[in-house]
Amino acid sequence: MSDEEHHFESKADAGASKTFPQQAGTIRKNGYIVIKNRACKVVEVSTSKTGKHGHAKCHFVAIDIFNGKKLEDIVPSSHNCDVPHVNRTDYQLIDISEDGFVSLLTESGGTKDDLKLPTDDTLLTQIKDGFAEGKDLVVTVMSAMGEEQICALKDIGPK
Amino acid sequence: MEDAKVIENLRSVVLKESASLEGSCDRINGYDFNQGVNYSQLLKSFAFTGFQASNFGDAIQTVNQMLEWRLSHEQVTEDCSEEEKNPTYRESVKCKIFLGFTSNLISSGVRDVIRYLVQHHMVEVIVTTTGGIEEDIIKCLGDTYKGDFSLPGAALRSKGLNRIGNLLVPNDNYCKFEDWIIPIFDQMLVEQNTQHVLWTPSKLIARLGKEINNESSYLYWAYKNDIPVFCPGLTDGSLGDMLYFHSFRSPGLVVDVVQDIRAMNGEAVHANPRKTGMIILGGGLPKHHICNANMMRNGADYAVFINTAQEFDGSDSGARPDEAVSWGKIRASAKSVKVHCDATIAFPLLVAETFAATREKTTNPNSSS
Repeated sequence: MSDEEHHFESKADAGASKTFPQQAGTIRKNGYIVIKNRACKVVEVSTSKTGKHGHAKCHFVAIDIFNGKKLEDIVPSSHNCDVPHVNRTDYQLIDISEDGFVSLLTESGGTKDDLKLPTDDTLLTQIKDGFAEGKDLVVTVMSAMGEEQICALKDIGPK
Repeated sequence: MEDAKVIENLRSVVLKESASLEGSCDRINGYDFNQGVNYSQLLKSFAFTGFQASNFGDAIQTVNQMLEWRLSHEQVTEDCSEEEKNPTYRESVKCKIFLGFTSNLISSGVRDVIRYLVQHHMVEVIVTTTGGIEEDIIKCLGDTYKGDFSLPGAALRSKGLNRIGNLLVPNDNYCKFEDWIIPIFDQMLVEQNTQHVLWTPSKLIARLGKEINNESSYLYWAYKNDIPVFCPGLTDGSLGDMLYFHSFRSPGLVVDVVQDIRAMNGEAVHANPRKTGMIILGGGLPKHHICNANMMRNGADYAVFINTAQEFDGSDSGARPDEAVSWGKIRASAKSVKVHCDATIAFPLLVAETFAATREKTTNPNSSS
């Protein structure tokens, strides 16, 4: 992502850290976890009790929230894991530029122009088509670990 | 007259004239406790007690032959080098002994007997399974206790106690092992990536021996005396569990088994002009791995197997030395014996009458046995 300063402005908790520690044994399915420096959503947790393999361990299977890749990790259940702060902010879609960037209306009335269109085909088509038809669209931007991406779309125009 | 003839015929059928064994076979003669409780004499008497005691006696004899053989006992061959013709050199060339054992023996007190052998460099190559590595290290971090074969499994699990036969190892010991070994793996990974070290099971094991730095550990002495410990099945134990977990947090540690098979087979192949001897406790991987390596030199010259396995199921574990002869793993001319006995009984007694006795003679020449 480009401008650090711009980035902090758009986050509700500017200046706060990107992750917080949480004991591995307390992280549940559908929670979030950082694996290999990627923010991920947990899809499976299994715990093996203390035994010949040493301390009790939690086996996490998680999906990278930005690129959808499956990642795994095994952590002793008493150790701390990093959990990402995941924020969702809604912005009104103002414009789509030729090179694939979107222009969004911020709360303060300014514009946020550093975000690209999402890579997910369905969402991409919906945005492009909706915008071309002149609909009033609001996008939800998910942000975590210094990365942002449009993850959802709402049509707020009159039916 | 008729009766006498009939009786005579019956006699010759029932009491068939026997061949005399006098002079060709040993007499059976057990120990006489009237001479007192002399353990050394008692063990020596096993050779003439019969059944497995006699096999044990043969094993003592075979191991002593391994210890006593010198190249000077052999005829000088036509094609040998100048150095090999030198009598002093020939006096110095000894038999190369391979020692193999299964991991349960390291959980048992036999670990301390093995440590004695390694400490005094009485064996030159060791082969074992993964438990044979970790149990030795773990004993430096926490104790193993005597339990009972009949302790119920579910109750033990709830108390965090693992049963190995009639021994108990608390889970906590494995936690200590994990805490000890993971930083070592981290360091090994760094060395792999920065110093281009290519780890093999035997190199990894030597490193563990160096790190444990504890005189009660046989791996420590193996590291100090440069005795290679081979464990091709390194992942099959708690150590393997540690490698597995380590690979998630810090992936990339490579352990090369190919380099080790070169080294292991090389120990046998390049042993010449020395003779080789195998002492194998238990069956499974250690037994086969050592025999297979010796096959590369057309067979070992001495072999002692101590195990309780049987051959009726065709297993390699239960196979007698003669089966190994058919494979060329033991020479047809070799001296070999199998003692059908639990090694926790047979091995300490065997070492007493062979390795330890020999060492006692050389370090205390004036003491009587």
